[in-house]
Amino acid sequence: MNRKWLSLGLVAASVLALIAFGVVLEPYPYWMHIAIVAFFYAILASSWSLLAGYAGQFSFGHMAFMAIGAYTAGIFGKFIRLSTAPTGICSEIPLGNTWLVFLNAIPERGTVTGQNCLELGKAHMPVGTLIYQLPAMPGIVLGIIMGGIFGFLIGLLVLRLRRTYLALFTIGFSEILRTALNAEIDITQGPNGLELAPLFPKGVHLFGYYFSSVNKVPPYYVMLALFLVSMAVMYWLAASRFGLFIRSIREDEEAAAALGVHIVRYKVLVFVVTSMIAAAAGAVQAHYITVITPNILLIMQMSLVIAMAVIGGLESLIGAAIGAIIIEFALELLRTSFTIGPIVVEMTTWRLVFFGLLLMLTLRFWNNGLIHPIIQRLTRVGWAEEAVSRRVAMAEEME
Amino acid sequence: MIKLDVNKVYKNFGGLQALAGVTFKVRGPELIGLIGPNGAGKTTLTNIMDGVYKPSSGTVYLGGHRIDTLPPYQVARAGLGRTFQVTRAFRRMTVMENLLVPAMALHPTAGRKALERRAWEVLEFLTFEHLANDYGRSLSGGQQKLLELGRLLMLDPDVIILDEPFAGVHPKLMEKIYEYIITVNAQGKAFIIISHDMDTIFTLSKRLLVLNFGELIADGDPKEVRHDPLVVEAYLGEEE
Amino acid sequence: MENASYFLLALLWILCWGTIGAVVTPRIYGRKDLDVSQAGLAGAATGAAGGPFFLIPLWYLTPELDWKWVVIPAVVIVVIFAGAFAAADPDNLCVTRGGFVATQLVNGLVIGIIYGLMALGLTLIFSILGVVSFAHGEFYMIGGMAVYYLTTIWFPGLHPLVGVLGAALLTFVIGIIFERLFLRAMNTGQVERPGEYAILVTFGLAFFLQYLTLALVGANPKKVARFVEYPAINLPSTENPALLKVTVSSIQLFDFISISTSRFTAAIIAVVLLGALMWFLYRTWIGKALRAVSQDRQAAAVAGINPNTMNTLAFGLGTMLAGLSGASLVQVFSWVPWVGIPASARSFVIIVLGGMGSLPGAFIGGLFVGIVEAIGAGCVPDPQRAASYIPAYGMLILTLVLLLKPTGLFGREL
Repeated sequence: MNRKWLSLGLVAASVLALIAFGVVLEPYPYWMHIAIVAFFYAILASSWSLLAGYAGQFSFGHMAFMAIGAYTAGIFGKFIRLSTAPTGICSEIPLGNTWLVFLNAIPERGTVTGQNCLELGKAHMPVGTLIYQLPAMPGIVLGIIMGGIFGFLIGLLVLRLRRTYLALFTIGFSEILRTALNAEIDITQGPNGLELAPLFPKGVHLFGYYFSSVNKVPPYYVMLALFLVSMAVMYWLAASRFGLFIRSIREDEEAAAALGVHIVRYKVLVFVVTSMIAAAAGAVQAHYITVITPNILLIMQMSLVIAMAVIGGLESLIGAAIGAIIIEFALELLRTSFTIGPIVVEMTTWRLVFFGLLLMLTLRFWNNGLIHPIIQRLTRVGWAEEAVSRRVAMAEEME
Repeated sequence: MIKLDVNKVYKNFGGLQALAGVTFKVRGPELIGLIGPNGAGKTTLTNIMDGVYKPSSGTVYLGGHRIDTLPPYQVARAGLGRTFQVTRAFRRMTVMENLLVPAMALHPTAGRKALERRAWEVLEFLTFEHLANDYGRSLSGGQQKLLELGRLLMLDPDVIILDEPFAGVHPKLMEKIYEYIITVNAQGKAFIIISHDMDTIFTLSKRLLVLNFGELIADGDPKEVRHDPLVVEAYLGEEE
Repeated sequence: MENASYFLLALLWILCWGTIGAVVTPRIYGRKDLDVSQAGLAGAATGAAGGPFFLIPLWYLTPELDWKWVVIPAVVIVVIFAGAFAAADPDNLCVTRGGFVATQLVNGLVIGIIYGLMALGLTLIFSILGVVSFAHGEFYMIGGMAVYYLTTIWFPGLHPLVGVLGAALLTFVIGIIFERLFLRAMNTGQVERPGEYAILVTFGLAFFLQYLTLALVGANPKKVARFVEYPAINLPSTENPALLKVTVSSIQLFDFISISTSRFTAAIIAVVLLGALMWFLYRTWIGKALRAVSQDRQAAAVAGINPNTMNTLAFGLGTMLAGLSGASLVQVFSWVPWVGIPASARSFVIIVLGGMGSLPGAFIGGLFVGIVEAIGAGCVPDPQRAASYIPAYGMLILTLVLLLKPTGLFGREL
């Protein structure tokens, strides 16, 4: 019981500290930015650890789901408007006095850029017509739903594939998506990047303070909230029968099925859940940085998330999250250079070499990652007992 | 009353006929041995009863419900549990978690506390209380076999199929497994035991099924089956 | 594209019946107790080729399926595809000029040989270690970089052949060092989940090598001069080079097939290397030992072959083949530290297509992917979009093969 209270206390203290950081770091937008990006990676790394570490599904397509969330939100923001008068040209749905207007994709190739139907329709619309962009929230929700749908489909498709085949398939999926996002310039703006409105285009009034749309405080708390909520959801899932079942699937699918576990349901479900979380992170991040390019699902981005999860501890949600936060901060701190005698070492280029090496060494020598064992030592959950009873077992075997 | 009906089960893999019309019935808590030379179709038969394979033709009924069309997890919930030739404990889950998996799958709405209580009973039965928080991987091979048997108790099936339960087990643990089978059988569960260990199987089982080339060549009292000319012929060259 | 709808309709027709064939055929074969291992692929191919006209007889007669049931429909599909394409876009170069198609085909074949060589390395590693190296493309990249530094920066004027040998040695050494330090642990039980470990650790290696190269050499594209300067040859005569015309940059056959000299050189190197590899694998004791290990580890170990040594050797050889592919292609493309990523992806496609661990499969898969890429790049209208989609073609093949027939064309059962 004591341990439980200790863990709870630790969690509460960390949450309070994270909330307080938002206030403390307020004057330092640079560090606020790093913190937001760190939470973003923490969500991705921990949800990947649920997928790979708990359920044993080593997917390299996690960033693809993130991108699905981001691009859904972006495309939603780009193509949907509210108008107080009908355009008469666009596809539109009347909602009382306002119209939900769906813009058309216009070719953006070469020097000729056409006008979309809203621009053309403006000519006929009465003076004083107001045209709004919808707030970010519905786009984000739509992004999460799309992430879930794609997670469901991919989860069904990969049911039969194991290990290497799953890894190859998910790389394939991710690359196809990246190519399509690059190629379909009319819709996604291709490599030029799709622009999104900030999370709060008009700024936020909170506790009597006003935060402008470029202030880092509101996005900090949005990303922090998303991080905490997704951690809570994942912990709850991991502790429930869902967590038990996906771990039994990881260990031995056939044996789990022979014991009554519905393999198909839980395998697909874990893809759906983790994809939705990744998509949520992507959608919020997209609205925060306000421009997304297909490069967000470069395979090297995926390897960064994997490195974070592995170094943090693949089978520990909080380990992966802390690993991600530490690595993100470390990567920023290492944007320096130093000299050894006549040689200038550009840490900016060498830091990733270092993390690549650290990733390999962690895999080789520390199965549980670097952060997870520290957490275990702090909370001391059942590791001493294991050692003792292993000795007992061996003694019995010796008899 | 337990009723398992295996009815004219055929199974082909491409051109290869693994089972050719296997028929037998289990009535009540019997203790059945299933033997046969290598490649006779014992594991195929197990996999068909368990739902891993679908029979090419024929049916399997358990307690009046047809189970050969069901996927393995539904067969398990319908009351047929099995172990595998190779030990398949969940290695990176604790013993307690190993036991909770089948219980939670079987009782989707039951609370964890109640299931844990049941798990402690099983642990007590296996004399494994001190290992509850150990990881599967830290158990010895024989202990892992016992853990698998414990998982079956949590699944609470009517029919238990054990695939080579004695293979490669320390003599002391073998006794324990033997005792497990006798006790659980006495509690009213039917057993089908596949084994190469002739001595054990002949003393343990009350009824013996012999498979050869996918056909059931003998079904009856072990003492009689032992001298059945067909069985002797099937095993010529197998046993020295 | 003028009548895109023809083409799209044909494509939809093929996809639709292919899917129906892939889903229904195994069930029908299964119901009749026949071998279903080929039924999915053959059903997909037959359905895609002939729609219901082929499928219904197939389902009714359920003949024994062998390779013919895949190859013949595949040819039919290609014909339909080409026909629909010609109808949809009659002005396309690929329709109006046979010479253009021939040039694309030859170029595809030539580059395909090198793709095949690289994929052979990957499949060799898989057949012995059971590991797909996700860092394969990085060895390709290092091979090219080594040639650049050896022949252009450190020793200008060094014979390119020496550069290629140097690249081979370097990639071989990195490969065996990595195998000894990281992959050996899988066989000694020092890592918990060998399968997942192999995926992640080779992935980590890719990450490491890529950034290491970036840190060492920078991001500027490197360019290596042509290895061989061919003499100008004109056949039958200088005035009328109808048969063969060799210039500094290109070789022209029959006046309409044109291929760049640097690609040609690369292909020659690759062919020689393939010959050497075949000789090594089938004629030398070590090669035979390697193949023995790939077929049966235990038996080979009993026969006195040390499987661990063979693992190291196979990994080194595999990475060396990747390095050699890079070394021979560095004169064709400009070289950057991330040039290995698409090369890796392409090798995955090839070995999955050819069947993991199958040497002939890797080679044929390489040729196939080379041709598909060349035709795709040359023929698809709307060049900008076409060019953007090139990496996706291969990945589409990969996902389709994984879904329809995970063992690939020549693969062993899983």
